[in-house]
Order: sequence, then C-alpha cells, then structure tokens
Amino acid sequence: MISFALSPQQKQIKELVHWFAKHEVRPIALEADRLGRVPDEWLQKVNKMGIQLNASSFGGGRASADSEKKKEKKEREGNRVAVIAAEELAWGCPGIALSLPGPGLGGPPIQSSGTPEQKQRFLSIFTKEEPRWGAYALTEPEAGSDASGIRTTARKVDGGYMLNGQKIFITNGARASWVVVFATVDPTLGRAGHRAFVVEKGTPGFTATRTVHKMGLRANETAELLFEDCFVPDDNLLGGEALYSAGANRPSGFQVAMKTFDSTRPIVAAMAVGIARAAYEYTLDIVRSSYPKQGRLYYEAAERLAEAEQEIEAARLLTWEAAWKADIGEPNAMEAAVCKAVAGKMALHVCAMCLELLGPVGLDGHLVEKLYRDVKVFDIFEGTQQIQRLVTARRLYAPYGVHV
Amino acid sequence: MEKERGKVISFQPSKEEQAFFQVARSLAVEKIRPVARECEKHRTVSVDVSERVDELGLSTLELPESWGGLELPLLSQSIIWQALSYGDLGVIQGLPGAQEASSLFRLSPEHRVWHRYREMAKGGWPTVAWIDEAEQKEPLKEAIRVRRRGSGYIVDGVSSPVRLASKADWAVIAARDEEEETVLLAFDERVWEIEEGDIRLGLLAAGIARLRFAEVYAGPEQLVARGPEADALLNRMRARNQVIEAAKEVGLMEAALDYTIEYTAGRKAFGQEIAKFQGVSFTIAEMAFECRGAKLLVWQAAAAVDRGDEQAGGYAWSALSRAHRSLRYVTDQAVQMLGGHGYVQEYPAEKWMRDAQAQVMLYGRETDWLIRRGEQLLRERKERVAR
Repeated sequence: MISFALSPQQKQIKELVHWFAKHEVRPIALEADRLGRVPDEWLQKVNKMGIQLNASSFGGGRASADSEKKKEKKEREGNRVAVIAAEELAWGCPGIALSLPGPGLGGPPIQSSGTPEQKQRFLSIFTKEEPRWGAYALTEPEAGSDASGIRTTARKVDGGYMLNGQKIFITNGARASWVVVFATVDPTLGRAGHRAFVVEKGTPGFTATRTVHKMGLRANETAELLFEDCFVPDDNLLGGEALYSAGANRPSGFQVAMKTFDSTRPIVAAMAVGIARAAYEYTLDIVRSSYPKQGRLYYEAAERLAEAEQEIEAARLLTWEAAWKADIGEPNAMEAAVCKAVAGKMALHVCAMCLELLGPVGLDGHLVEKLYRDVKVFDIFEGTQQIQRLVTARRLYAPYGVHV
Repeated sequence: MEKERGKVISFQPSKEEQAFFQVARSLAVEKIRPVARECEKHRTVSVDVSERVDELGLSTLELPESWGGLELPLLSQSIIWQALSYGDLGVIQGLPGAQEASSLFRLSPEHRVWHRYREMAKGGWPTVAWIDEAEQKEPLKEAIRVRRRGSGYIVDGVSSPVRLASKADWAVIAARDEEEETVLLAFDERVWEIEEGDIRLGLLAAGIARLRFAEVYAGPEQLVARGPEADALLNRMRARNQVIEAAKEVGLMEAALDYTIEYTAGRKAFGQEIAKFQGVSFTIAEMAFECRGAKLLVWQAAAAVDRGDEQAGGYAWSALSRAHRSLRYVTDQAVQMLGGHGYVQEYPAEKWMRDAQAQVMLYGRETDWLIRRGEQLLRERKERVAR
C-alpha cells in the first residue's frame, strides 16, 4: 500500500535525532567549521549518550547487544530508519554528523560481507566508554570513480597479505580504529582480483600521512592513508578466503564495494536532503521576518522558496523509495543511484537559491554559506553525479542488451 | 481504500491498484496509442476507444458510488490516469463524459442541479466543458461577465480555450459576479456558441475551443453554489483536478522516456548504438530522474488530498508545477534524442512534445503555482520539521 506516513518507530527516531541535531549539533556547527574539527569533549559527551554513526543501522544499538528478534525487525525498516535519521543529523551539521563516533561507512561492508567472527570483532568495539571510529578506503590518487582501477596491492604471504599503496579522501581515516581497505591481489585480473581487508590502527606499515583542507565539511577529518609492506592477517580478509574462492557466483571485492553503495548512497542522498532543508528553513525564517510583504522581492522569494520545497520533497521521496526497496529485499542499485544523483545536485541548487535570497549579508556569519560549502561534495563522494547517471542509464538500457 | 493506507513509508501499490494499472496500461498500448494519429487527424476520439474506456469502468473513476461510479481514492486514480496517458495524452484528453466536472459531482453528489445530469446520463455520461474563470483574470481576454438578474444570473462573454468545448452537452462555469462573489453555474443545454478558433499546437482530439455566452440567463435552478461555499467547493475540486492532470502528464513523460530508450538502444551512429554516447545516455538518465521525481510528487499530493491534509492544495500546486516542468523537459529531450526523426510525424515524439506544451498551457502557469505555494509557505508559522 503506497503511504508516505512514518511508522511509530520511524517517527520516534526522527524526533529523537532531530532533538539531538537541534540542541547538540547545530549550536556548535559554525564553531566546529572554524576550528576545523569537532571538539574532543563534545565527542566524548555524545559517545557517552550512546549516539553513533553507523551507516548500516542508524536505529541505534550495537551488533553484539541485539537480540535476533530485534535484529530482524530492524532489518525490515533499517534502511528507511537510516535515511530518516541521516537527514536529521545532516540538518544539524553534516561535518559533525560525519564525525560522530561509530563504524560510519565502514559498517555496511562488514555487515554485508564479514564473517560472524569479523562482525563481532570489529563492530563490538563501539562502546560508550570511549569514542571510536571505523572508516572505508576505496579511492586512490589514480582511481576515483573508476573503482575497478585501484592499484593498492595485496600480495599473499604466509598467514596473510602484504598491502602496498595509497588511499585518499578517507573520512575519519586517521582517527579510525580500523579501515576497510580495498586492494588487488593481481591487477591483471581486474575486478576479480579485488579484495577487502580490515586494517587496524597501529598495524606496522599503515600510516595516515596527512589530513586535507577542504572547501567545506571542515569539521570532519579527511585523511590520506599509506600502506608500506603492511602485513594484514588472513583473519582480516573481509568474508574470509571462502567468500572469494567458492565459484563464479561469489562476490569479488569490487562487488563488495559496489554493494555497499546500494545502502550508503541513499544515506548520502538523505544527508544532502537534510542540508538543503536546513538552508531552506533558515532562509524561510529570514524571508518571513525581514523581507517586504509585497512587491518584486517578495514574489521572487515566494517562487524560490516553493521551488526549494518542491525539490527537497522530490529528492526525499526518491531517497525513501530507494531505502524502502532495500528494506523489502529488492535490488535497489538504480533507485540508489537516482536518489543520490537528484539529491546531490538539488541540494547545491537549493543552497545557492537560499544564498541569493540572503543577498550580500549572507556572506557574513550565516549558516547557509557553510552549508553551501559543505554540500558540494555530496554531488561527488559515494559516486559523482556523472557516475550515478551512468549507473542509471546502464540499468535502463539493460533490457535492450546495450551496455553503456 | 483510503482508510486502509498503511502507517509506514511504502511505495507498493495495492493489489487493486496494480490490477487497474495493468488494465489501463494494456488499453493504452494496444488500443490508444495505435489510433492516436488518426484521432488527431480527425480531431476526435474514435468511438471504439471511448466505448472500451466506458466498458472497463475507467470513465467513472472519480464519480460518486451513489451514481454508480467507482469513487476511487485520488492516489489510485493517479496511477490509472498515468497508465492510460502512457498511450496518448491527446486521446485521453478527448475522452467524452464528465471528466473535470467529475470532482464537482463527487464533492456534491446530492445537489439538485445534478439530477438532470443523471437523468441525461442514461445513454452514457454527457460530456461537460469546465470553465474556471473565478480564480484569476486572464490578461489576454475579457473575463466572462456574470450579473445578478432577479433570482438568477446573466452570463455574457467568451471563455478561454477549454478542453471538450467543441463536443460538450453541458457546461459548468465558475466566475465572479459584479460584486466579486464567486458563482458556480451549470448549463444543461447548448445555450452557447462554439468558437473553434485556430488550434494547431496539440491535444487536437481534445475538442479545445472557446464557448461564447451571449447574455444567457441562468435561473436559480442552475446555481450550484456561490460565495464562500462556492470557493470552498472550488478549492477542493481544483486540487483534485490538478493532481489528476499532473498524473496524466507523468504518463506522457514515461511514454516519451521509454520510447526514447528503445530508439536510442537501436539507432546506430559512428559505428555504435547512440546509447553508448554519454551525451545520449546521460540525457536518458536525466529524463528518468524527472519522471520519477514528478511521479512521486504527484503521489504525495494525491495522498495528501485523500487524507484531507490542510496542505493538500499546496502540494497539488507544487506537483502540477513540477509535472509541467518535467513534461516539457522530457518530451523536448525525446524529440532531441531522435534527432530529425523526432521532428517528423512518422514518429510519435513530435506529437508528444506538442501535446505536452498544449497541456501545460491549459492547466496553469507553472511559475504562478510556485509563487502561490511560496506565499502559502511564507504565511505558515508552525514548526515544519517533525511532520
């Protein structure tokens, strides 16, 4: 039955996360952007509150603490709950949202491909005692959108693999307790040679060489990682050898990476929706209080605000649809690409319209200029809008046997 | 069905909606699209098609159950109109019957004015032309003048071009009288003259024409409503019709998208299918984005109307505005992707683009809908977050 109503659980999560975003995140958003980091004491505090970022189960709780029954329930609504929560968190501040402790984007590949032992080992470390992070490392200097072209190597050695290579643009990469790293056992094998490893902080040969300075999302750490003869034991090969060697139908590391996108792209889209909504609501309040009540400026503002609302609603519905499909167990790669493409582009457009409405005064200490800087990357990471168009077009042409 | 709508986000049509969709889509592809050019040429919908639509009950989706109609929720209707318009919007807009007036019948089924309509309906629902001049004055024409005369009204003037005017048995007019009060009048016989005009752009089977009323008297028995009662009725009726028209637009854009995908998958240039050029495949993706976004906004507006949301009118404005924009974009790109073939009448794309433009001209200025929605948003004061 088609419905746009939130379930009691979804509504509760939305209200809870919104409360947190409004009272804990938003008040420090501009300051964290100025500092270029989220204050440690704040991270300690929210971690004690049990608030974490896990792209595979925003519904809260840690893998180890869940009863099977609870888990089943969560899986049915998990993706919808995740996008609802992601929108609210990003509404508070996307830079802070991405800096929240938890497995982050590293969660989904471990959830979807990890062995039970790996899930227990890597996902149970996120406790209230101390804030910890997970990270996801795919991008390299010469392999961004074309993830099949990664050059980080994983050479089989006794008891494990030796990793060599470099990863860039890794969210929370320097502070993470572990990083899911994609590497190739043989570049000539292409995608079939890809493997995913969980590399733990402090592993000899693994270093975070620097953190980069960005246009926006300045509160969030973006690191470059270097692997120099970094030994990773067999136990840290995601899914174990069995996952990769049990026949043609088994996923390659490349497929693990791509599969991850089906659940993370709707979350990234939801965050873009949240940013756009933040800019829109901020601007709506200012137009209400400060704009003339008639005449040219008033009508221009009315039109822009209605367009912003429409664009936000459309992107949100597309995002919900992608999450719903995942929840009911249907393939959602196209819907995930569509919502990400639409939301990423929409959000920048909405922020720009809002800045136009704020005029030159908007340059000086207003939240929207920060949101504008923050939001641009949502049209780039987790697949650029061009990649989303490619994924969408491929699915549309598939019935005609044309590979684009 | 309205009461049964779940309280969890879902995009799954009900079994009944799926069944309706299949019936409507089959009719669209097998019966409607093949005769679209012919209907356009003769400027009317073939009897075969309209009879088939009647047989399947698709002409009574909005009509009240007490009249023998299906009285479906607007969301279900949106899905069905979308499926039907996938065949050809020009044909759909030319279907005879109550059409836009259906919402008025649904909202006031027991009104005495409609008794005569129901009597006349015994041989099929009479065709109604709907003229709405109460909402805003068209800059390029004189408004229809409505003056009080005794207990009735005198109607004088020429309407804007409206759908079904050239074949209407009935006309329903919403206008303002000399005191700026809204009046809603029904005419059950052809007291008007038809001005066919020079319509060439599109929807040529839809009977678009103007109706001229020359000092026509409408007695009290023809008054449907006036004043605040008429305004309230009209606002609800307009929202319903805006959603239905937007749903039809989604159907046409889906037709244009699917046709373009198939064409570009088969057409070769420079030694390969043109789909393999990203200038083409990315455009296809963008067309798909527009179709999907517009569709969900229409569904959202339909759901808001069905549950009686106080914002329903605003959602309907927004959905129709977006549908207009998306429809223009998608049908234009369909012609563009077909290149020269898109421009000639051997292929449907040129007709769809013309029909699309005529459709958006008939159903309100998209910028105006946005401004109205914006004014509504600026007036609204409550917290918008935890909706």
